[in-house]
Order: sequence, then structure tokens, then C-alpha cells
Amino acid sequence: MNRYAMSIDIDKCTGCGACMIACAVENNVPPLPQSNDRKGITWIRVFPVDNGEQGDTRQSAFLPMMCQQCDSTPCASVCPQQAVQLDVKTGIVGQMPERCLGCRYCMTACPYHARYFNWWDPKWPAGMEATLNPDVAPRMRGVVEKCNFCHGRWHAAKEQAASQGKREAADYTPACAESCPTGAIRFFDLLAGTPEAGSFRLLEKLGTETKIYYRSKRAWVKGLAEAPDGKEHHLA
Amino acid sequence: MPNQLIARGLKRCSTAQFALWVAPWFALLAYGVYAAGLCLVKGLNQTNMDNRFAFGLWIFLDLTIIALGAGAFFTGFLLYIMKMKELKGVIYSAVVIGLVCYSGAIAALMVDVGQPVRAWFTFWYPNVHSMLTEVTFCLTCYLTVLIIEYLPILLKNRKLRDVPSFLVFEFELHKLIYVLAGVGTFLSFFHQGSLGGLYGVLRGRPFAFREGLAIWPSTFFLFILSAVAVGPSFILVTTWIASKLTRKPLVKPEVLQLLGRISGVLLSVYVLAKTVDTLIWINHTSPNRGFAAWQYYSFEPFGTWILFLEIVGFGLIPALLLLSKRLRQRPAILVSAAALACCGIALNRFVQTVQTLALPTLRFDPFLSYWPSWQETGTFIGVIGYGVLVYSFSYRYLQLFPQERELAALPVVEEEQVLVER
Amino acid sequence: MFHTIFLSAFATVALVVAITVLFAVARSRRSLSAGRADAIRWHTDFEALPSRDRQCRHVLTGELASRECPHAFDCRECLTHPKLLARRRPVDQFEEEVFGMPYPSDRLYHRGHAWARPESDGTVTIGLDELGRRVLGPPDVTDLPPEGARLSVNGTAWRFQKRDAEVRVLSPVDGEVVAVGAPNDDWYLRVKPFQAEFDFRHLLMPCEIRPWVMREMERLQLALNGTLADGGTPMEDISAAYPKANWDEVCGQLFLQG
Repeated sequence: MNRYAMSIDIDKCTGCGACMIACAVENNVPPLPQSNDRKGITWIRVFPVDNGEQGDTRQSAFLPMMCQQCDSTPCASVCPQQAVQLDVKTGIVGQMPERCLGCRYCMTACPYHARYFNWWDPKWPAGMEATLNPDVAPRMRGVVEKCNFCHGRWHAAKEQAASQGKREAADYTPACAESCPTGAIRFFDLLAGTPEAGSFRLLEKLGTETKIYYRSKRAWVKGLAEAPDGKEHHLA
Repeated sequence: MPNQLIARGLKRCSTAQFALWVAPWFALLAYGVYAAGLCLVKGLNQTNMDNRFAFGLWIFLDLTIIALGAGAFFTGFLLYIMKMKELKGVIYSAVVIGLVCYSGAIAALMVDVGQPVRAWFTFWYPNVHSMLTEVTFCLTCYLTVLIIEYLPILLKNRKLRDVPSFLVFEFELHKLIYVLAGVGTFLSFFHQGSLGGLYGVLRGRPFAFREGLAIWPSTFFLFILSAVAVGPSFILVTTWIASKLTRKPLVKPEVLQLLGRISGVLLSVYVLAKTVDTLIWINHTSPNRGFAAWQYYSFEPFGTWILFLEIVGFGLIPALLLLSKRLRQRPAILVSAAALACCGIALNRFVQTVQTLALPTLRFDPFLSYWPSWQETGTFIGVIGYGVLVYSFSYRYLQLFPQERELAALPVVEEEQVLVER
Repeated sequence: MFHTIFLSAFATVALVVAITVLFAVARSRRSLSAGRADAIRWHTDFEALPSRDRQCRHVLTGELASRECPHAFDCRECLTHPKLLARRRPVDQFEEEVFGMPYPSDRLYHRGHAWARPESDGTVTIGLDELGRRVLGPPDVTDLPPEGARLSVNGTAWRFQKRDAEVRVLSPVDGEVVAVGAPNDDWYLRVKPFQAEFDFRHLLMPCEIRPWVMREMERLQLALNGTLADGGTPMEDISAAYPKANWDEVCGQLFLQG
């Protein structure tokens, strides 16, 4: 039995963005050159953050954000047509693009801004279709999508295990964790391991019971897990 | 040769003048259809909504016009179930306004969703825990009820009622109107509430989240209260506008004053409930979820002035004005107070939709702003054009105001013509 | 469980709405086949009249100060009417002329300005009264029902067209048309009543004519915005004197149209 979670060491993240690219390639996210920053699709997104100070005391870091795979989802309960389903066994919050109406209520509900809408028809430039991942279905215009812990890889792992006569999925690694050069992203099984000591989750007081555990030795980074404090904490 | 389609005893302008009146509204409707068409064909990238502002102008205005259209069910409830006979003078107008508001909102919603053809999925895979499912079911049922309630008004048209089967059907349907009024009240109670529930249940947005009663957050009840408070006010304002545009009295002044009084009483209750709810939210609900209430108002332009304007400026003040019998008897104050109440509801829906999304939820979120694109405003301009057109045609060819005839027949001696010979 | 409650609530609502509409349809079909369309039409038209036009006949005669007729001018059903009739003093002499207009006392008058005269052979002759004739003026088109047509009280007897006006003259009797008047006749229809005894309690009696005609002239004045000079006789063709007036509206008021 596998119950998946992620542990992210913010102090190790250099903001290189390899995870973002690996994710887009793995999950057939369309390039969308016509998009702006706020309409693009980034299942994982690295946020440049700072401690809100100016000048000498200013410190910065990079915070990779993706769907926090909440155990107490704010999104699943609001979808009018059950297109969002929390798999209680694996802990993965699944999204069914074929059933999605595109009402975007789940996007309103998510405090982590982890959900992305297909504002355009997905199009790949000529020749780029050759790079598409055959294990992952591309989505259509007008539906919501988000990180699903590389569900395509999970399915492949299940098939591999089944071919070996095992019922549990084999271990697999999502694209982001696989591509991270510093090893800041660790994908693990909650039933086999635990997050590191001192890990915190974002907006814990909301009771969303997320499964993305962040850690940092810097106190101000820990503060970023709390609600807004009226100060600006982001670069750019 | 006066128009045989127009009811006897009613003065209406010539067909040419009417054509001149409707032409610009048709143009607006065409503009709206084009704007909406672009969104349907090219996709929602035509709007300025984005991943942070998943809801924008359309949802804000949809919620507003559904609240304003609450006058339809509430007037029906007061007339057919509470037997307030004076409201007979405005019930048909209220039904048309309701029909226009709800059909317009649903039309805008069909453009707002990414896959409108999949709308039936909500009925096939309903998520009974979602407020939006409840809204979908209720709105669909209620629009059907409104269309059925519009039928008798339509069938009362002078030429249509010459057809015996139409005349008799209208008569028989009217005998059962109280059933439809009851169903309409039941449905409206739930969908007005669920629209509030949409925001009250958002655990991830402490600005909007409220605790409440069982599965229903306090915003469920506040939305119902605000809708029934503003419904009569909107009927008042639209009747007054119609009266001014057509330059004739359409209802007796007492009817408008009664609407104002009902609005005033309910608005007062709402302001009280809203104040209590806001205090609980500021001191308890929001801080318990880790979000201090003061920081919501630290982003320009959404300072605390918006809260005071909503509750005091557009809430308490019109409520007090409408509660005073003396002030209600002055049309300028009556209509202004009603208009202020309508603005208050619009502001409340704005705060719930746009401000909720503008505010950051993570400490490293920026505060973002949003301005609708011309396609978005165009779509809604089309809805307004549609509404004015339906109302104009209904006013001209159907007898929307039963008291109009009586008021028009009041003696106005214009000529001194001698009727008899000596 | 929640699922069941939710879906059954909406199913119930949908069912209630559907049943209501179907009920209305079923009742309509029954009413239509029972021939009640005319009665329903008159009832809805009557309800649409302003209060002052729905006053009881006993208000016209001064017996009552004010009373809105609760029976749509069908005094056959009224319990108050016979009581007030019993209190009236019998009158021998009836004036044949009112305001210079002939109102023969051999006939009874309907408030919609038709008259009914029972004949010796059991039929009833129907015509248009003098005020009605003068207000309408020479009709452009007269549309009489064929022989064998069935009339009901307060239903449509025959139709006129004059300028922009479309007038349905209301029938004073329930019966079958046995003869149609020629253009030169002073009567329009001859009707055999359904019941052997012709019930005419709902029609105005000769002693009520003067106050009624006076009231009608006041209503006419209001409709025409004209001034009523006391004591004069209405002109032969009032319609000709008001070429610009909305004749549809004027006739509508006088002939109790909806």
C-alpha cells in the first residue's frame, strides 16, 4: 500500500526551474506562447520569495509549489460534477478533465493556487508532437488541470507491478523529483517513511491536511507558511 | 389605426416610435452576442480572467442580477400566499423582471464555463455536497417556473386571448398560480442561499469562509435575507423608471410605498444580521484559521471603507430611510433609498466575488487586480439589451400593470367639446 | 443518504410543477368542451373593469350607496337582488323616452346595450339599444352569427367593426339563433331560449333605464373627455363628431369589452 507525499527542502532549491520543465514535458502541458504570467499552465511553479526586508537585511529563497494533495480537500467538495476525486488509498487528488465543466469553482476554492485553467486550445508547434508523452492524455480547452503526482507514471508502475504478479504499485518518481539537480524534492511513501523533523506545511491552520512537507533552517521561510501579514514577500 | 395587439384602454406610442426605442437595445444585444460568440468560439482567453481571478465580472454580475430578480418570487409569495392584495399592481412586471434576470444570468453562465455543452453533467453526476450543484438544479427548476408564470401574462395579450383555448388555459393556470408561487419561493430560498453558500464554504479562503448552521454557512442566510430585502426595492426602481420613460402613472403610489416599507424592514434585519456576522468573522472565524482580519483591508483600494460603505452607506442608511413613513411618501427619497439598497447588494456580491479572489492567501502571494476585457463587458451589455427588449415588448403588448388603465382613466379634461345637441 | 434527499427533493419539485401544468391543461380541455370559454371570457373581462364600472344595478337606482357586483352582472344567481326587488314600489307608468332617446318599455335591456323582447311564440328578439346605436354610428361591418348558432348570456352575440373599433355585442339570452335580421330591420337576431321559460332577471327593467342611461352618458363623457351639457339629447352619430378619438376605446368602455 502506498500513500504518497512530498518533502521539499527550500534551502536546497536554487530556482533553476528544471522541475517546471520536466513536469511540462512529462504531462503534455502545451507551450502557450500567447499566454501571460497569470494564464499559463504550470503544474509546479517555483516562487521567488523574500523576507520582506529591504537592502542589507533582505534575504531570498525559492519555493516550489504544486497541488498540495490535501487530505481534507477544499476543492473536491465544491466540484458540481464530481470531476475531482480524492483517492483515499494513494492520497492523490485526481482531476477528470473529461468530466470537467470548466466552471473554475475549484480554482476559487484552492488557497494554494495550484489549479490551472486551459484558457486556450492546446497546440504544439509542428514537429513538437513527437515530444508528447504517450502515457498522458492532453486536456482540452476549457477544463481545469493540476499536478497529480505524475499519474501516468503511477499507472505505469501499477502495470509493471501487475506484470510481476504484485498488487501494490512499484515505486516510481514524478518528473519534478527526478529532474531536480540538488535533490530538493523528495517523493516518498507516508506508510513507509516520514517527513523530516521540523517540516511544516503551508497554511496548516486551514485544516487542509496537505501532504507536501516543506523544511528550512531559516525562520522567516517558516513564516511563509502562515497567512499574509500585510507585507510584500515576493520578488518580481 | 391603433394597434390591435395592444390592450384596449392603454396608450402606447406609435410603432415607428417604438422601433426607434428598441433599435439601440437591439444593437447592444448584437454587440453582446458578438462578444459572447468570440468567447465561445475562441475560448475564454478572450476575457481578462486568469488563474488567480478564476471568477470575474460575469460571476459578480450574475450574482447581483439574481439577487435583484428575487423580487419576482418574493412578490409572488407576498401576493399569492400572504395575500397582500395591493401587490397585484406590480406582480406581472416583477415576473418579467425575474424572467429577464434569471435567463440573462444563465445565458452569461453558459458563456462563462469552459465547456458549456457539458452542463448536463451536473445533473448526471451531481455532487450533492457542492453548493454549485444545488445552484444548478435550483436555477434550472426556477427558470422553468418563471417561464410557466410568464405564460399567463403572454396569453393575456389582446389578440392571443381571442383564441378560446389560450384564454381558457390562462384562466385555469391562474387558478393554480399559488402552487407555482409556493414552488418558486421554496426554490428561491435555496438558490439564493446556495449562492451565498458558494463563498461561505470556501475553507481555503478565510475572507469568504463563514461558519453557520449545520451544512449551511451564515452567508447562506445572509444572501437570502439580502435578496428578499432588495427584491422589492428593485421592483420599485424599475417600475419608477418605466413610469418615467413612458410618462404615465403605472401603479398607485401606495404600492410603491408598500414595496419600500417591506424592503426597509427586511434591509434592517439584514444589516443587523450582517453586522453580527461580520463581528464574529473578524474576531473569531478568520483569526481561528490563521488569517487576521485587519490585513484583508491593507491592500489599496480595498480599505475598510468598502466594509463601511456596504453595511452603513448602502445598508443602514437606505434601511432607515425606507422605514420612515413620512420619507417614503416623497418619491425622490423612496426611489433613491431603493436604488441605494440595490447598490448595496451589488457591492456585497462584488466583495464576495472579486475581493475574495484579489486577496492573497499565501504570504508570498501578491495582491492582484483585474479589469474585465471588452468581451466580458460586451457580453453583459448584451444581457442588458436583452432585458430591456423583453421588458419593452412585454410592456407594450401585454398588460404588465393592471392599475394602469384605472390610473389613465382619471378624468383629464383636455377639450371642451360638446357631446349633446340642444 | 444525502444524495437521496437532494435528488428526491428536486424530483418532487419537478413533479409538482409538471402536475400543476398538466392539471391546468386537463381542466382547460374540459372547460372548452363544456363550452365554458364564453363564460370564462366574460368573467376575466369583468374583473378587468375598473370598480366604478362594476357597480350593482341597485346602486344605479339609488337603493344602495355602493356595491361592486359579485356575480359579473348575472343577477340570476344573486340572493340580494330578489330581496331588493321585493322592497320596490310597483310602477304603472314607464317613460318611453330617456334624454330624447327612445327606450321602449316592451323590452328589457342588457348592461352591454343589447335589448331582448320576448315574443308570443316563445322566441326572443334581440337588438341594439338607442345609445349604443348612436355611439357606434353606422357600422362598417356587421358580422351576425348563422342560424343554429348557440349563444350564452354575456357571451358574444354578434360583432361590429367601426373605424378602429372591434365590438362584440354581449348576448342577453341563452339560446339558439333561429332567425337573422335583414339590414333594414330594427332587430338583429331572433333566438329560441334553451329553457322553456325565458329567465330575464339579469336584464334591466324599464324603471331602471333612466338612472342607467344617465350613468352610461357620464361614462361616455369620461371616455371622450368631453363635457356633458345637461338636458340635451345625444347626437344621431356621435362617432362622426369625434373623428380623431380612439373609437376602439370608447366602444370598448360602453359595450363592456375587455
